[in-house]
Amino acid sequence: MANIIANLNKAFESRIRLGIMSILMVNESIDFNTMKELLELTDGNLASHIKALESLEYIQSIKQFVGRKPNTKYIITNLGRQSFQEHLKALETLIK
Amino acid sequence: MEKQLEDLKVIREMMEKSSKFLSLSGLSGIVAGITATLGVAYAYFFIFGGHIAAANILMIIDACIVLIISVTFGVYFSWRKARKSNQKLFNKVTLKTIYNLSIPLLTGGIFSIILILRGESEMVAAITLIFYGLALVNVSKFTFDEIHYLGITEILLGIAAAIFTHNGIIFWTIGFGICHIIYGSIMYKKYDLK
Repeated sequence: MANIIANLNKAFESRIRLGIMSILMVNESIDFNTMKELLELTDGNLASHIKALESLEYIQSIKQFVGRKPNTKYIITNLGRQSFQEHLKALETLIK
Repeated sequence: MEKQLEDLKVIREMMEKSSKFLSLSGLSGIVAGITATLGVAYAYFFIFGGHIAAANILMIIDACIVLIISVTFGVYFSWRKARKSNQKLFNKVTLKTIYNLSIPLLTGGIFSIILILRGESEMVAAITLIFYGLALVNVSKFTFDEIHYLGITEILLGIAAAIFTHNGIIFWTIGFGICHIIYGSIMYKKYDLK
């Protein structure tokens, strides 16, 4: 049991981070505002969680311009995908 | 244990919500089915039965009215469902859904109009059913699973209509009328009444 719990990733303990990773698993890229609407969060709240995941190199931000407006979109990294899958597997083993 | 289960639920929900068009309402299907049936009835009793000179044009107009009413109610019920769950109706997923639905649908629509104008309307029932079915199968990966099976049903009915061309109107009524009402009711019960 202790072994399985060790496989759970501490970074995904927060539901918000879990949500961000889930969304990026099934979408090529998602911009900040869409993410905000999906998770029903405020700017500051989402930004802090995104920063945390970025510093772990689980997600990556891409800055671009849509017309004149700056727009940041996010993609999942290979490391992020792998970590999330391991976390998912650990969750599934735990509830079996 | 509770937390893990809840976590998995959140994961599943966010994956679906961010990649699928879930505002589609079963009521749209029911209204579309009823409108299509009335449209067919009008065509059967007044256009074919009445020996009208411009029958082909009237048939296209009849079909267009059915389409406009169905789409209008479709948009209205989706808008209502989206508002209920605090979602915006038009986002990237909605646009992706519409795009993937339109390509086979417009192709089939234009093809049918060309055939009618050329006076070769024998295969029109089959073609509209087949292209509509293909459009649904194509779009089903962005929405509820039921749409996939509705699409397959329409394709099979279309093939049957191509074989039994004289009964085209029967297959058309089953496909666009009855199937919409049945699938609409199933989806309304399963997803809207929650």
